[in-house]
Amino acid sequence: MDRLDKLNSVLLAVLVLITAGMLIQHKLTVPQNTGPAPDNRETLIKQYEKRMASDANLYKAIIAAKDENRFKDAMVQLDEMITSHPENPKSYVLKAEIFTEKGNLVNALSMYRHAIEMEPDLVDNKTPLFIGDSVMDLITVARGKLNREKKLKPNDATLTIALDNIYYLQRRIAGGCE
Amino acid sequence: MLWLKKIDLAIITGAFLGIGSVLIVLVGNPVNSGICISCFLENLAGALQFQGDLRMSYIRPELVGFVLGSFVVAKKTRRFKVTGGSSPIIRFFLGFFIIVGCAVFIGCPIKMIVRLAAGDLTAVVAVVGMMFGVWCGARYLKAGIFLERERDMPKINGYIFPFLAFMLLFFIFFQPTFIKQGQTGPAAQHAPVLLSLALGLVIGGFSQRSGLCITGGFRNFFLFREKTLLGGVLTFFVTALLISFATGQFNMGLNGQPASHLSHGWTFLAMTLVGLASVIIDGCPFRQVIKSGQGDVDAGITTMGMLAGAALVITWSIRSTSAGPEFAGKIAVMSGLIFCLFVVISYRKRITS
Repeated sequence: MDRLDKLNSVLLAVLVLITAGMLIQHKLTVPQNTGPAPDNRETLIKQYEKRMASDANLYKAIIAAKDENRFKDAMVQLDEMITSHPENPKSYVLKAEIFTEKGNLVNALSMYRHAIEMEPDLVDNKTPLFIGDSVMDLITVARGKLNREKKLKPNDATLTIALDNIYYLQRRIAGGCE
Repeated sequence: MLWLKKIDLAIITGAFLGIGSVLIVLVGNPVNSGICISCFLENLAGALQFQGDLRMSYIRPELVGFVLGSFVVAKKTRRFKVTGGSSPIIRFFLGFFIIVGCAVFIGCPIKMIVRLAAGDLTAVVAVVGMMFGVWCGARYLKAGIFLERERDMPKINGYIFPFLAFMLLFFIFFQPTFIKQGQTGPAAQHAPVLLSLALGLVIGGFSQRSGLCITGGFRNFFLFREKTLLGGVLTFFVTALLISFATGQFNMGLNGQPASHLSHGWTFLAMTLVGLASVIIDGCPFRQVIKSGQGDVDAGITTMGMLAGAALVITWSIRSTSAGPEFAGKIAVMSGLIFCLFVVISYRKRITS
């Protein structure tokens, strides 16, 4: 080891110590905002609860109309809501629910797909937004019915799209890394 | 481990991969994605804020384990050899395009086998595509087209990648502010950290010794009818299949499979790209990660290219979703194949001139 090597070694040690000191000082003095799971998870759940409460308030009249089977009225209000709040997937979820109740499975599937494409957390069972069970119920009913119709009308483009929507929704609910 | 013959090691590694990649799903990893290098790199890119999708942001301890396991075993068995300098920029971009291919299929060759073993029939086309790509690559190798030989390099080059892995390990446990961890989507689906790390270390160590490589197994078979690595790959598949059955994860069909799509033509082309590019750079994405831990600087460069790819496939949507491949993904696959052919042509000219 000549003088240059020794100088470099000392310099290296000093730099490592300074850097370590800076890191420790930073860790001690600056508040950490991205801690592991518990804190963030709680914050996230609170955000979801806030959002769901806000949605419940925003869609109060529409949900009431839907519950009273005033579907036409609810649909008109939902169209207005889509214009005023285009970013909110709740409108499409409610439309899907109304279409399901009316027995219009093709449109219900389409609306669910649209909502899930807008908000992937709707099929994430780790969030309170999860609607996978209702979608699966619809899929279970729709799959048999639409497959039978498809056999009778093999060239029907609407049915092809509806079946494609079923498979899409199934894949999304199945999960995986996407 | 030294008493084990190489064929045994390949089979043992395959068995570990098969068991680990299916069982880790039971303790938290995403369905059909127990181990997937491209997904893990996309998650890593998100955690480092190279891409902004928080749902895909998490440092997978398995990935760190692969590099460190390989490093420790290579050092212990005196196989840590620092080499590099073979067409680094070409390797970087081939690594990039490999991840593009994986993102359009939705999975690396490891995940392809895991998906197949779980009954996902859409992966059959991927296997055929990858085998076709490897076959093409093998033909090119036979024709004398390969990247120039690597040379010995100063030791420090070989330690950079294990050091980076060690830094990631530090980030996992100490969570500095710039590291992001998603709480929903795939990022929230993970096994306990220590378990994931242990699995990564074991598989990384065995893979370093056995040289297990998905594309390498097929390449050796196509070139020399050599079956050592292929035996490991088949063991991986059979083990994963059995464990999938035993744990009730087997669900055969084309429809409703997790993280899949029905654009089979693009699946074929995407995995052809992965197979071909992997043969040119001598190893599938998993093998590149393992080699980067054993002092192979070229593999380290490739892995950096893969990480760049992992960030951009999310940011630029060069990938597929359950709805099928995005337009940008299709163009990128075509560009990748064109790039591979340019590389092949240019290296052939260089050799014959």
